[in-house]
Amino acid sequence: MHMFKSIRSNKANGDMESYFPVRPDCQEHVPKTRFKPKVGKTLSERRWNAAFQKDGRLDIAGVLRRIQRGGIHPVIKGAVWEFLLGCYDPNSTSEERDNLRKKRRWEQYNSWKEQCKTIVPIIGTGKFVTTPLVSEDEEPPDNNGIDESVSDAELDKKEIQWKRSLHQIGLDVVRTDRALVYYENEVNQAKLWDLLAIYTWVDEDIGYVQAGMNDICSPMVILLKDEADAFWCFEHAMRRVRENFRSNATSMGVQSQLGILSQVMRTVDPKLHQHLEGLDGGEYLFAIRMLMVLFRREFSFVDALYLWEVMWAMEYNPNMFADYASNDSHEVVATKLSKKVLLQYGKYERKNVKIGRTDQKSLLAVFLVAGVLETKNKKLLNEAKGLDDVAQIMGDITGSLDAKKALTEALKIHKKYLSKASITS
Amino acid sequence: MLISDRMLLKVIVLGDSGVGKTSLMNQYVYTRFNKQYKATIGADFVTKELHIDDKPVTLQQIWDTAGQERFHSLGVAFYRGADCCVLVYDVNIQKTFETLQTWHEEFLKQADPSEPERFPFVLLGNKVDINGGTSRAVSEKTAREWCALKGNIPYFETSAKENYNVEEAFLCVAKTALANEHQPLDVNEMCFERIPTTISENDQQERSCAC
Repeated sequence: MHMFKSIRSNKANGDMESYFPVRPDCQEHVPKTRFKPKVGKTLSERRWNAAFQKDGRLDIAGVLRRIQRGGIHPVIKGAVWEFLLGCYDPNSTSEERDNLRKKRRWEQYNSWKEQCKTIVPIIGTGKFVTTPLVSEDEEPPDNNGIDESVSDAELDKKEIQWKRSLHQIGLDVVRTDRALVYYENEVNQAKLWDLLAIYTWVDEDIGYVQAGMNDICSPMVILLKDEADAFWCFEHAMRRVRENFRSNATSMGVQSQLGILSQVMRTVDPKLHQHLEGLDGGEYLFAIRMLMVLFRREFSFVDALYLWEVMWAMEYNPNMFADYASNDSHEVVATKLSKKVLLQYGKYERKNVKIGRTDQKSLLAVFLVAGVLETKNKKLLNEAKGLDDVAQIMGDITGSLDAKKALTEALKIHKKYLSKASITS
Repeated sequence: MLISDRMLLKVIVLGDSGVGKTSLMNQYVYTRFNKQYKATIGADFVTKELHIDDKPVTLQQIWDTAGQERFHSLGVAFYRGADCCVLVYDVNIQKTFETLQTWHEEFLKQADPSEPERFPFVLLGNKVDINGGTSRAVSEKTAREWCALKGNIPYFETSAKENYNVEEAFLCVAKTALANEHQPLDVNEMCFERIPTTISENDQQERSCAC
C-alpha cells in the first residue's frame, strides 16, 4: 500500500491535470503543465488549516512564505486566493468573515443578480446569448412624460448599454478555456456568462471590454464553488488590472503599463531597448496580451494559476483589505515597520515599502515581461530584423517558460531597476 | 540569410468579433481548424511563404486583430505600413456586414495611406457552411453590390471550417498586396483569371463568381 502511494505521488503532474481535466481531443493543442506540488514547499491543505488561530485569525506571513516557495495545492486554491486578493483580512475572526461573506452573497451579489434578471430573464437560467439583444440604433425611450425623473432616464441608458454587452460576453464565453472538460457543460459556460454580466452591470465605469476579462474570470468560476464567492474573487482580481481595460477613442489603459515597461527597459537594458525602438517596437505592443491577462495564454491552465498565486503572494500588502474598504492607500513610512510586520508583505512589495515607493503597486507583471525580454536578449539582438521576428521570438515562450524562474528573473530586474533609478534620480 | 531579400507583404485582417478571422488565418497558414480558438487580444500575426508567378519567395505577414471595438484606439500602431486590408464578415449575421462600413473607414483613417481611394481591400464572407447556407442573412448579391460601391473590391465567400475558398482568397490578397507594392495593376484581373485579360474588357465585365 505504501509503495503504491509513493508511485502515485511520483505522478504528481498527472494528478494536477486530474483536478482540471483537459478534453482528450485537445491534449495536443494546449501547453504542457510543468507545475508539481512539492512536499515541504507547496502550501498544503494541512498547513493551511494549521495557519489559523482558534478565533480564525490567519498567520499570513507563514502562508506567503510557503506560496512564494511552491504555490498552492489545488484543493485549497480558491480559499487561499480570497486572502491573496484582499477579499478578506487575515486579521479578522472567522465570525467577522462569515458576516461579510453573507452580506456579499445576499445583500450584494444576489440582489444585483435579481435586478439583472428583471431586465434580461435569461440570467441565471443556465443559458446565455451570443447574438445581440438590442439593435445598434436603439435609443433610450424618449421620455415625454414630465413626471419621469432624470435618474430613470439614466437607468434606461445604463440598461441599454449593458444589454449591448451581453452578446459580446457570450462570444467570449464560447471561446474561453474550451480545452477544459469543465466548459463542455453549457451550464458552466452560463455561470461564467452570468458572472461577467453582473460584473458589467456593477462596474459601469469600465463595463465589458472584450480583451481578456473572460480569461481572468474563468479560473474563479472553477475554483470557487459558490457563485457569489467566485464573483468577489474576480472582482478583486479586476481591481488590480481594471485600469488596463479603460479605453477611449485615442488610447487604451494598458498603454500606461506599456509606458512603464518601456521606461524599465530603457533603464535596465538600454541596448535592447534601442534595438527594439529601431524596429519600431519601442511601444512594446507585443506585450499587450501578456499584461491584459497576466500571461494566461503563455501557460497551461494549471501553470497560469501557479504563476498568478505566486505573483499575488509576492505583491501582497497587508493593508490591502483596509485600503479596499476605505478606498484609500496607506502611506507607510519605511522606518516604522518592524521585521515582523515586514514579513506580512510579499517579496516584491516589501522592496517597495522599504524604500517608500508606492508607485509600483501590482506592477510585477511588467517586470515579468521585462524578465522574459532579458532572457531572450541575445536572440532579439542578433536575430530580430523586424517586429514580426520580435513577436515570433516572444511567441516561442508559450509552453516553454518556467513560472518560478520567470518570477525570480522579474524580481531581479525589479531590484536592478530600483537601484539604477535611484542613482539617476 | 535566405530571408534577407524577401518581399514582405503586410496584411491586416479586420472585422467584428467572432466572424472567424483567426480561424481563416489558421486554416490558410496551418491548414487546420479547431473549435478551441480563443478570442484574440490585441493582435496576433502569422507569416506564410509563397510563390507568385514563379517570382521569388514572398513572405506574407498577416496581422489578425481583435474584433473588439475598443481596440480601435490602437489601430494606428497596428495598421502602419499595411499593403492590403482584408475585411471579414459572417454571412449569417447581418450586423457583421453592416459594420464593414465602419471598419473600412476606420482603417483608412488610421492607416492613412497615401492614396486612400486606391488602397487595396479584399472582402471575405465567412461561415457559408453553416446549416448548408440556409441561415444566411446576407446574400452574395448584396455583398457584391457593396464591393462595387467601394471601388470594385474583390469578394470571396469562404468557410474556414470546411477549408472552402480560403487558399484562393488569400492568394488574391497576396497578389493585391504585391500590386500595391509595385505598380497599380488591375486587381480583378489578377484574382479572377478566367475573366478576359484586357483591361478595357475587364472594366465592362460584371464580376461573377470568384471561384
